[in-house]
Amino acid sequence: MMGVAQSTYIGGIRPRSIAGIWFRHALVLRHTWLPSITWYFVEPVVILLAIGVGIGTLVDDIDGLPYARFVTPGVIAGSAMFHAIFECSWGSFFRIQKGVYETTLTAPVSTRELAMGDISWAMSRAIITATCIGVVAAALGWIDSLSGAGVLLAAALVGIQFGALGLIFAALAPNIHILSLSFTVVASPLYFFSGAFFPISVLPDWLEPIAWATPLTPSVHLARGFLTGSLDISHLLSALYVLGMSAVLIPVASALLHRRLVK
Amino acid sequence: MNGQGESAVIRASRISKKFGEVTAVDDVSFEVRRGETYGLLGPNGAGKTTTMRLISGLSPLSAGDLTVAGIDVSRQGREVRHVLGVVTQQDGLDTDLSPRDNLIVYGFIAGLSRAEAARRADAVLMYFDLTDRSDDEIDNLSGGMKRRLAIARAFMTKPQVIVLDEPTTGLDPQGRNRVWQELETMKQAGVTILMSTHYMDEASALCDRLAIMHDGRILAEGAPDELVSQHAGQEVAQVRVSNGARGDVVEWIGSAGLDYRDAGAVITVTSPSGGRPDLSGLEGVRVSYRPSNLEDVFLSVAGRELTDE
Repeated sequence: MMGVAQSTYIGGIRPRSIAGIWFRHALVLRHTWLPSITWYFVEPVVILLAIGVGIGTLVDDIDGLPYARFVTPGVIAGSAMFHAIFECSWGSFFRIQKGVYETTLTAPVSTRELAMGDISWAMSRAIITATCIGVVAAALGWIDSLSGAGVLLAAALVGIQFGALGLIFAALAPNIHILSLSFTVVASPLYFFSGAFFPISVLPDWLEPIAWATPLTPSVHLARGFLTGSLDISHLLSALYVLGMSAVLIPVASALLHRRLVK
Repeated sequence: MNGQGESAVIRASRISKKFGEVTAVDDVSFEVRRGETYGLLGPNGAGKTTTMRLISGLSPLSAGDLTVAGIDVSRQGREVRHVLGVVTQQDGLDTDLSPRDNLIVYGFIAGLSRAEAARRADAVLMYFDLTDRSDDEIDNLSGGMKRRLAIARAFMTKPQVIVLDEPTTGLDPQGRNRVWQELETMKQAGVTILMSTHYMDEASALCDRLAIMHDGRILAEGAPDELVSQHAGQEVAQVRVSNGARGDVVEWIGSAGLDYRDAGAVITVTSPSGGRPDLSGLEGVRVSYRPSNLEDVFLSVAGRELTDE
């Protein structure tokens, strides 16, 4: 009998489970790449051009940056957020509803690995869309390739953080309508108050600390730091904030998913 | 039978599962032997699905001992799924992927290499006669094809045991027949099959042995024929009766020393001797005779009808 090789575990985690779920998502993208391009590429680039070129001609430099260059890291981080949260809220919710997760668990997979697999794909989606936008921005001279690598790192962190947040929505949502909140109440307000389109410093004094504390702001700050090449301690703190938040959200998402799927 | 212990692939000893105050599986014990097809027969809510989830390590036990192929399920729940192929009631097919990719992805997640998974997927598609639908959309498949694909998926890793939860529920007769064929083919290949069903004809056609479940308990266990001869005799009489005459008829049956079950329009009568019940003295009613079956067994041990739709 051929039999399946016994599983390899690293600290109680079976890497094959995560790789397998990631492979599933990659295969779906391979089959749906044509319509997916609009999401990954066309829509964010339209936003980037409209704001960078359109509004950019009306707006003065901000902190010595032309507006198009100022807004590029914000659009990248925002698009990364939308992709990650969508994948793990709507996408994961559908997979729960259709019994795809139930099936996945009939292989030697744990709910923790299920969560990690989906979040790893959310991260990949964030990197893919960031790369698409980055290439256009680089062609326009709004970003250079070296700082682009740093911006991709920031996008990857956004992907993990918002993938975990999206999965919490999927695990808790009693029905599909509740998931809209992940966009209307979470992602959209965060996008506009993250410092992506204007510096946080223009907000009223009382709103400024709140804007800094919201989850996307540190990543926009970090990405912009890479773009301008002037990194300081505030950027390190930003990265730690995102990592710390992810370190809390991932186990919460995984526990909620377990509660929903394993009775 | 000697050596039964060693040949048991699944061994459940006094297993229970509680959901809060509700006991879904209540102190159940049984063994499934290597190569046999074992059925859990019972109505909806009998605890069949929960029992299968416990065996698959998908739901933690509340009490009892459970081993599958020598693996202690309560300690190594997911290791069990290396030797089991599990087919859940919901087919759980991934509609974003083609049938072939459904198999490949499952195989890869379960531990095959990608090349192995692709090879095995083609072989399994051929085996289940689904090759010409390899690259179709899942939603274009009939219910029977979807179910066969779900079974094919569980077969990807060449499991020792296949666990199927109500494999033909919701299928048309043709789809059902095909699934029966596939199960028979897998059995010929030496696979041990544990299945649940609420169809008595399915249980008698496919199962070497079965357990009759009701309210989380096993009420009777054995080969289908044995169960019928033990609990329902050879033949039963069915008496059709109008409401007005019911009282008199029931009284007559009782006084003739026969057992009966009153199930609405039809009264089912059995003879304690196991033979054909003698109703020759009963006038003015329509009586028909048929061989006893597992529904009569269920009625006899559970005191209610198997089907309640």
